[in-house]
Amino acid sequence: MPKIIACYKWVADEADIRIDADLSVDLSKAKGKISEYDRNAIEAAVQAAAAMGGQAVGLTFGTTKARQSLKDALSRGLEEAIYINTEEANEADGAATARALAAAIRKTEDVSLVICAEGASDTYQRQTAPRLGALLDLPVITSVTKMEISGNTLTAVRKLEDCLQTVKAQLPAVVAVLPEINGAPIPGLKAVLAAGKKPVTEFSSTDLGVDLKPKSQVTECKGYIMNRKNIILSEGDTADKVKALAAALRKEGVL
Amino acid sequence: MAGIYIYSESKDLAAELVGFARGTGKPAILLTLDEKTAEELKNSCADKIMLITGSSELIENYARAIADLLVKEGAELLAVGATARGRDLAARIAGYLDCAMASDVTAANFADGKLMTTRMLYGGAVQQSEALAGLSVITIPAGKFEPVNGETPVETIELAADNRVSLVETAPIVKQGADLVAAEKVVCVGMGMDKAEDMKIAQDLADAIGAVIACTRGIAEERHWLPVEQYIGISGAVIKPKLYISMGVSGQVQHVFGIRDAQIIVAVDTNEKAPVFKAADYGIVGDMYEVIPALTEALKK
Repeated sequence: MPKIIACYKWVADEADIRIDADLSVDLSKAKGKISEYDRNAIEAAVQAAAAMGGQAVGLTFGTTKARQSLKDALSRGLEEAIYINTEEANEADGAATARALAAAIRKTEDVSLVICAEGASDTYQRQTAPRLGALLDLPVITSVTKMEISGNTLTAVRKLEDCLQTVKAQLPAVVAVLPEINGAPIPGLKAVLAAGKKPVTEFSSTDLGVDLKPKSQVTECKGYIMNRKNIILSEGDTADKVKALAAALRKEGVL
Repeated sequence: MAGIYIYSESKDLAAELVGFARGTGKPAILLTLDEKTAEELKNSCADKIMLITGSSELIENYARAIADLLVKEGAELLAVGATARGRDLAARIAGYLDCAMASDVTAANFADGKLMTTRMLYGGAVQQSEALAGLSVITIPAGKFEPVNGETPVETIELAADNRVSLVETAPIVKQGADLVAAEKVVCVGMGMDKAEDMKIAQDLADAIGAVIACTRGIAEERHWLPVEQYIGISGAVIKPKLYISMGVSGQVQHVFGIRDAQIIVAVDTNEKAPVFKAADYGIVGDMYEVIPALTEALKK
């Protein structure tokens, strides 16, 4: 049975990130989540599997923390999951990530389609799908807003800055989907309960036999603070606040 | 020729990237896929333009050939304009070279033989600097570097295309909403708005001050009250108006990324703890259904 692989990433929730006074970044309170855009990639794989009579498989590369993602991912309609579990994921850049995912895909038989989101919600580098295509020597289609599979032919609509471009390729292929491709429904209780019973294949980097050393070296990571006036009118009645705001905007000369 | 290789299908962005390369003191070699762009960039001050000829009209299909060319020529860096096509091409070439790549950098310069880059993480909450050694790839968004002027010779180069992806058709995007990126004033609706009919209060304000209506991702993608082209954020429109006024926008980092370069940011929301107020120059804590109509009246005068 053809396999459709959805790549996803377990990321820190950016809403929980704390920036300290010295601009250091505190992720210790941040809860994890499946990157939002990857939920659409998972749903696209589930829909493609249904259309092709195939099996949708989740693939993630992460540290031990990513174990929490498996049940969530599997509740979204995937039939099984592949989990590359290594602490090297912490330091991984786009190159190392693609090498890890490509190695796991090579170990999986009968892969006919690999679906990624354009980018992850933490790094948003938008490198994974094109890099995977290069490493696996498969055709790549990115910025996909719509796709159809007929037999062995994938027809996709790409949304570019100035046009909608319809392209086609023979499977196997790698695609990167835009979030607007589908609605990524929230899983129901039954799906959540069933997820715990679905199979998970786990790999270490040794199992995969790949070098996961990053190519780029992080030299600094600090919080970004926007310098704004922060004049917030919270007291008093609406009329006064509006009057004050209107006067301020006139003075700024932005009207 | 060693140096910085550059590609963007946008001629303006390509010219900016040549400006970046010139600033590093290294040779700048522009790659282009069509004669018209080559002609338009003849005064971009690159050392040369290499006009690619081959069997595909999709630049992405030359990724492997360009990767081979970079190695053969002893290139130091590939700098690509951060557009949908550009990001795809750049990351594919980085994949073939298995080399370092930094996407959508906000700054880049050479120091000690390495390329030092800066980019945003977590939707703009965090700024990360990286050092890239050896032949590397970066993508650069529009507006980061200034173009320069100077004559550029054109030569053609035949490259092999990978035609496994073929073009079926191209349709221009029919813009449903007004052009956000060029707008001087923007009124933005967030999930705090109760129902689609209430968009009228935003429209009235927009009409009163001559603004374009925009929204958050949820309004476009979950509620479909506005086309997806109208949402602001890291995965949507990144704008720089003189004035941005939000209503019912909580101010998630991904959204705020898209308004970072606005001159004045105004927020109206009931929740005084909403992160949008930290990103705002002026804010009113209050019910948008009272505040916005009153503001519309006040600004009409």
